[in-house]
Amino acid sequence: MSDVILEDSGVPVHLAATNNRKWAIGFTLSVIIIFAFYQYVYTSLPGEVQNFFRAWLPLTSLGEAMIFVLMALGLNIVVGYAGLLDLGYVAFWALGGYVAGWLMSGFFDSKTINFGGHPPVGLPNGIHINFWLVLIIGGMFTAVWGVIIGAPTLRLKSDYLALVTLGFGEIIPQFFVNGENVGGLNLTNGTQGITPIDDITVFGHAFGVFDLQWKFLIYSALAGLMIILSLRLRDGRLGRAWLAIREDELAASMMGVPLMRTKLSSYAVGATAGGVGGVAFATLINGVFAERFNFAISIIILAMVVLGGMGNVWGVMIGAVILSWINSTGLVQFGNVVNGALGTNINFPSFNFLIFGLLLVMMMLFRREGFIPEARTRVIMHETTDHQGAH
Amino acid sequence: MSSLNNAPVLDAQNISVVFGGLVAVDNVSFNIPEGSIVSLIGPNGAGKTTFFNVLTGLYSPTSGGVYYDGNLITGLAPHKIAAGGIARTFQNIRLFGMMTAQENVMVAMHSHMKAGVVSTTLRLPSQKREEAEAREFAQELLDFVDIGGTTHEYARNLSYGDQRRLEVARALALRPKVLLLDEPTAGMNPNESARFVEFVRKIRSERGISILLIEHDMSVVMQVSERITVLDQGQKIAEGSPAEIKSNTRVIEAYLGKTGTEASK
Amino acid sequence: MTSTAIGVRKRIQINTILVRLSIFLIGLGVFSWLGVNLVRGPADFVTVAIQGLNNGALYALIALGYTLVYGIIELINFAHGDLFMLGAVFSASLLSERLHAVTSTPANWGLLIMTLILAMAFCAALNVSIERVAYRRLREAPKLAPLITAVGMSFILQFVGLHWVGSAPKNFNTVIPTTSMNVAGVTIRYSTLMIFALTIPLLLLMVFVVNKTRQGKAMRAVAQDKDAARLMGVNVNKTISFTFALGGAMAGAAGLMYEQTVGTVSYNLGFQLGLIAFTSAVMGGIGNLYGAVLGGLLIGLIQGLNDGLPIGLGQRWSQSVVFGILILLMVYRPAGLLGKATTEKV
Repeated sequence: MSDVILEDSGVPVHLAATNNRKWAIGFTLSVIIIFAFYQYVYTSLPGEVQNFFRAWLPLTSLGEAMIFVLMALGLNIVVGYAGLLDLGYVAFWALGGYVAGWLMSGFFDSKTINFGGHPPVGLPNGIHINFWLVLIIGGMFTAVWGVIIGAPTLRLKSDYLALVTLGFGEIIPQFFVNGENVGGLNLTNGTQGITPIDDITVFGHAFGVFDLQWKFLIYSALAGLMIILSLRLRDGRLGRAWLAIREDELAASMMGVPLMRTKLSSYAVGATAGGVGGVAFATLINGVFAERFNFAISIIILAMVVLGGMGNVWGVMIGAVILSWINSTGLVQFGNVVNGALGTNINFPSFNFLIFGLLLVMMMLFRREGFIPEARTRVIMHETTDHQGAH
Repeated sequence: MSSLNNAPVLDAQNISVVFGGLVAVDNVSFNIPEGSIVSLIGPNGAGKTTFFNVLTGLYSPTSGGVYYDGNLITGLAPHKIAAGGIARTFQNIRLFGMMTAQENVMVAMHSHMKAGVVSTTLRLPSQKREEAEAREFAQELLDFVDIGGTTHEYARNLSYGDQRRLEVARALALRPKVLLLDEPTAGMNPNESARFVEFVRKIRSERGISILLIEHDMSVVMQVSERITVLDQGQKIAEGSPAEIKSNTRVIEAYLGKTGTEASK
Repeated sequence: MTSTAIGVRKRIQINTILVRLSIFLIGLGVFSWLGVNLVRGPADFVTVAIQGLNNGALYALIALGYTLVYGIIELINFAHGDLFMLGAVFSASLLSERLHAVTSTPANWGLLIMTLILAMAFCAALNVSIERVAYRRLREAPKLAPLITAVGMSFILQFVGLHWVGSAPKNFNTVIPTTSMNVAGVTIRYSTLMIFALTIPLLLLMVFVVNKTRQGKAMRAVAQDKDAARLMGVNVNKTISFTFALGGAMAGAAGLMYEQTVGTVSYNLGFQLGLIAFTSAVMGGIGNLYGAVLGGLLIGLIQGLNDGLPIGLGQRWSQSVVFGILILLMVYRPAGLLGKATTEKV
């Protein structure tokens, strides 16, 4: 019924495996090279070169890119695999962020709970739980929210669903903005946000605000895990059911696939990734700030999924890295260069709207399968010739 | 004729479906005896597809009930009815186009498999074994419907005939007791239709599945059916062996007669 | 398995009981909230309600655009709210900046009417071009594609708005006076009267166009069945363009009225109001003209009461209240108040 809008990695198992291996090696190598560069080479470089890298490829934006890979892959499960348009994904990011804010800071300073956490020196008050544990709690918390949001709404037609998710994407951040006084309780510290967030600990080593190359490595590992999860789920029982629902909901139900349950599971997995990303992001920027969780973020993450080719794991990864970099660094730097050279005063970051808007429209009009479909198309070509040879 | 005396595996009693003020199906009783091949025919708009959708749980009847193996299944969700063993194909093919033939078949094994998010992500031995078995069964079914060479091809790239066959393989993956075929020979030439008759018999004899056919092609219906039921304007107007239906005046008037005059125009 | 089947029936009954009970409880809560406020300050209550209906009239105008487009091509036009925003920005820059019509003089009233017509034409033209450039090519594509395109369009329009008025909200003096009158303790702003004076004829015109004209009949035919309409000699493309023009014109009119009554415009105006208006359209039953108007007025009223009444959640929860309503509607009555449920064809 539905046609070529959506691309996927549905390649024959043996060919997909070699293809995946190449990409996986590429991803791992890139991460290691970047880490090694900043850990060992960067400090011994001359000042101007250091400045260049600090301006164009700062570690914060690299870490952010990895977190966006994680989240874009989470949304990819909902939009790319199951074909459910979620326009409020930022809600899960916010929920995960506040889990970190609550459990990894001095915010609830009337209590002092420390469970493997690493509070700032001299500020033991508050709840300080170990980062890795909070990741799991955050993921589970948002998964539950995914089900709460999904259960009543997943029955709806696809376009209505888009709108209701958008509604949740507005209500939940609004709750956090207004949350400094919920029946007399301060739950979120309102627009001030919660800061600072505890360090990340790995085997007794604490990584704080300045250990950005280590944090980058940790976020990359999380993104890598999400890649593995996405690939494996895609090739399993659930992945097939999601794709079937995306292709033809009615036929899927007639083949014994329970629609609500299967959709809910995609929602829960996607939400979990959003929550984990939220916790990670809080540790990256050392705080949670309600006003950062706006509608534009939901759309930027959607654009990442669309750019890479919905359903295509590696494409979405590349899309997330590129768009995240443009959003956090590229546009500002490019603007500085242009304004500096021409003596103009153009506000380049404001072009974000145009870039992401045009990107969505153009991709849908001219390249619905995303930018990285070569591998799959090549495989299809390969397969058909194979069969002709065999006959 | 012996199979017609078997106990019905699927039994629809006094089914009526009303849309708004329109009576699409009017008090129709119908059953499929175990191991039989029966057909449902009638002119366009006679209510065949609506009736079909009642059997598969897509529509709830306004009144009446459907019994499967003696149990009432009316009101159950369609996916539960499918998982319970009532499989169908679609009049206008509804495959999952961007999935391979193998994956299409494996989707229908969903209800017989168990793997969840955790076991799939960790590739636990139980999940691996389950997947391997499912792949093997899928290949067996593709071979059974004679498209064993298309395993890794996208469904949308298959030829029309192969797509029809893949739909049957996919339905068989539910391990059904009853198979409902909705105009399976639509778009086939007489030669292909004749082969299809053999194919339907093979499904019944080799897999022991009872079959209900909705068909337009009279030669197919007359050749393969052990019993034919005729619907016209939502009502059952005749039921009997092909020979009886051929000579039934009411049927000729309502159906054959009409197509006869249409053909002579 | 017989027992499971019976079990299913029982569960369905329990479900309907739960649904009815929760609707009853929500209704009871709303009525007691309204009742308490009404008794405490009847004049305030009416003042607030009128202000709510004032906004509701604007929502109705915007909601019409959503409902018309959805009715004909089943697309939630996410860019529609931003089209309204551009209508408001257009009016502000033409009437207040270019023509310096910032006081309530007869000559300025003339300019206001002229700007109204121009704003309607501007938004109609813009909406038609958006359909022509983007949505038309995706008419046969799977549903996600036009939806995502509409979201992208919304961003592009916001960009235009951002570069037109800047990133901060901008205030303007208006032709419509900001003063108000007092009737038995009830405050009614003159601008509210103006809104109704302009909205009611527009709505009547709209109903007339859709129900009585050739184009309107073509619209209804295309909405029912594109292929059949084409066979009957209806120019489908032209009819869809006409629908977008009609919806755009209503958004343009709403834009001018918003600018003239509120006196402030900002580039992200369309997002909020667009969503509220869409909620209105859904509430009334999407695709249904009268439903959009009814929904708009109801949502305006509810929002006005929530924001303005002494006992209430207050303005900062305004969005949440509207979305809460949207979600409840979707869960309990997705077809809306005046809509009909539809089933999928097999």
